[in-house]
Amino acid sequence: MPVMEIDRAPEETGASPGSVHSHSSSRALSSGPVIGRGSGSHGWQPLAGDALLQRLRVTGRPRPAADPELAARIRDTMEQELAADLASTAAGVTAARPPMLVVTKDRLTRVLACERHQVVSEFGEREPTAALACGAIIDALFRQLVTVGSIGDPMADGLAALRLDDRQRELATWIDRLDGGRRDELQAEVERQIRGLRNRWPDLSPGWLPRTQETMRVGLVGGAVELAARVDLALGGPSVDEASVALVEIKAGARRVEHRAELHFYALLETLRSLTPPFVVATYYTRTGELDTDPVTAELLAAAARRTLTGARSLLGLAAGHEPRPTPNGLCGVCAALPDCGVGRVRIERIEAAGRHRLDGHRSWDDESDGAPHR
Amino acid sequence: MRALELSRAVVAPPPPAVDGTDRTRIRHRLVEGVTREVERLPGGEHLVITLPMFRRALARPDLVLGPGDPFAWQPKFVRRSLGLAVVEACAEGRFRSPAEAARPIAGEAVEEWGRTGWKALYWEPWFAGLEPAARAVVLAEAVSWATALWTSFDWDLLGDRLRLGGPDDQWVIPGPRTVRLKGRRELQVPTVPPGADGSRPEPGPLALVSVSAGTPTPTWSEELAFLAVVALRSDSRALPARVAGLWPDAGTHRIVEIDQPALERTVDRLLAVVATLVDARVSGLAAR
Repeated sequence: MPVMEIDRAPEETGASPGSVHSHSSSRALSSGPVIGRGSGSHGWQPLAGDALLQRLRVTGRPRPAADPELAARIRDTMEQELAADLASTAAGVTAARPPMLVVTKDRLTRVLACERHQVVSEFGEREPTAALACGAIIDALFRQLVTVGSIGDPMADGLAALRLDDRQRELATWIDRLDGGRRDELQAEVERQIRGLRNRWPDLSPGWLPRTQETMRVGLVGGAVELAARVDLALGGPSVDEASVALVEIKAGARRVEHRAELHFYALLETLRSLTPPFVVATYYTRTGELDTDPVTAELLAAAARRTLTGARSLLGLAAGHEPRPTPNGLCGVCAALPDCGVGRVRIERIEAAGRHRLDGHRSWDDESDGAPHR
Repeated sequence: MRALELSRAVVAPPPPAVDGTDRTRIRHRLVEGVTREVERLPGGEHLVITLPMFRRALARPDLVLGPGDPFAWQPKFVRRSLGLAVVEACAEGRFRSPAEAARPIAGEAVEEWGRTGWKALYWEPWFAGLEPAARAVVLAEAVSWATALWTSFDWDLLGDRLRLGGPDDQWVIPGPRTVRLKGRRELQVPTVPPGADGSRPEPGPLALVSVSAGTPTPTWSEELAFLAVVALRSDSRALPARVAGLWPDAGTHRIVEIDQPALERTVDRLLAVVATLVDARVSGLAAR
């Protein structure tokens, strides 16, 4: 089945349940990080209401049993490898007590894409964009919908929420200063996405213990390394005999390959802190109404642990002063180091020469639409 | 499973009480040490030490004197008190879960303030003046905080004599330069006395529960026992039997039994923290 980018949203359909759609029907573009859905899906409509909820609750696999030994094995492996990494990198560190390394999904994604990109991103200010603003507003409005069950004027409500968050206040000010046309464009996109969200997102029973922006932290190697994440929605109470927690991430932009790896990182953290995996991790795309779900398995957790270790190793090396290695990747177009980066410029020139319609770094609603300030 | 185990551990029979002579000696050691340290401050200066400050001074002594921002209400300042009211309402059986309780409980608080002018939770006027979307942020924060506490325990097992929140326990060490120790805990639960047959015995000494963000630090034991040290102020005041710490972000808990070694270790740490704070204050005054 050919793959195409999502370049338009599905038609608004109200709350009628749509066909089942999962990650298995899509695959990554070979030349870029944006994932599309099959062109054979004409007439596809996003899931809504009970159907969406059912898709989240029933993954097609049995829910994992509570298995503290699995969590302990993963933790032990990670601790051992990180301890060895710390010992080998500590030789070059002169500080009496090296600072704790905090590993977030963004840092992992960046450093695994390119160490140099991670370094410039870490120390540069994140310049607001319309996509970032849209993502932040949608995150806030989703939280409002889950908590109180309604949204008033989307733009006004979103801005009110951002202004109350000291990590988002600057972004709110930036939005306030947008000129009329750009602000209208942002407002139109926010309203369109919220229309879909209102129509499709199911009511959540309070008995499922819905909580938003749930923080997860796991300390490793005596606190020298901390894995940290904040997930948009967690459902389900503590596990007794089998997994009972679902984690949902909200994205206002297009699907990207790294989103699944980010979900797996969440699954890993929940497993390490609760000693039981979540039974499902999912991304809900407010732009299109797509729901990508991943049932959590031991294999998924092992792969997430390996990826996290690889990234943490790179981050430890950078923290110890190792020279960052440049790697051409899909983020080159938005990387602050591009003007001085040979491999990045070669990649961009090659793409431009190939006449790609969609360039890396093209700013649209698809890009950077995760409005989270620190993840 | 973990909720049951944690609840049992919290209400378990208490350890042997700290000997009265030891208790008096430890208190004198603390008072003398603190008084000696604060003599380096100008007359009239005072220190307030809370658990977060104690923790910060132990972990990052270089950050204890950072200039504080002027106070402004934020959702994170409300989530604990609203969250405790929410958990209390759930424990009383009024609501099935924090997600159901938060909105009506906040509404009741605002209504009561409007009717009587009494700010039982302090934030009612601020909350009442917020736009609906901003109120939703506050409620969401409280729901997440309360759900973590609510799901950490088997509330039936904790019994009906527990107390949620309440005013901070305080000990003002007097002198020309006062030091105020403030102990804030989220739960006070009577322990089950040894040999209790379960009929409804007189409750044993209290177990305290403290909820913190982040992950436990290497000094978690002394941090938790700090809440017991505040109760050293008077010989007639019962010491807690134990202090349990919850770190919901990390999905973990720790418990310290309050015995003589725990108090001694904590007083050592506290004296070091007072010295750190005095150093920082003296440096700050000199820099002005």
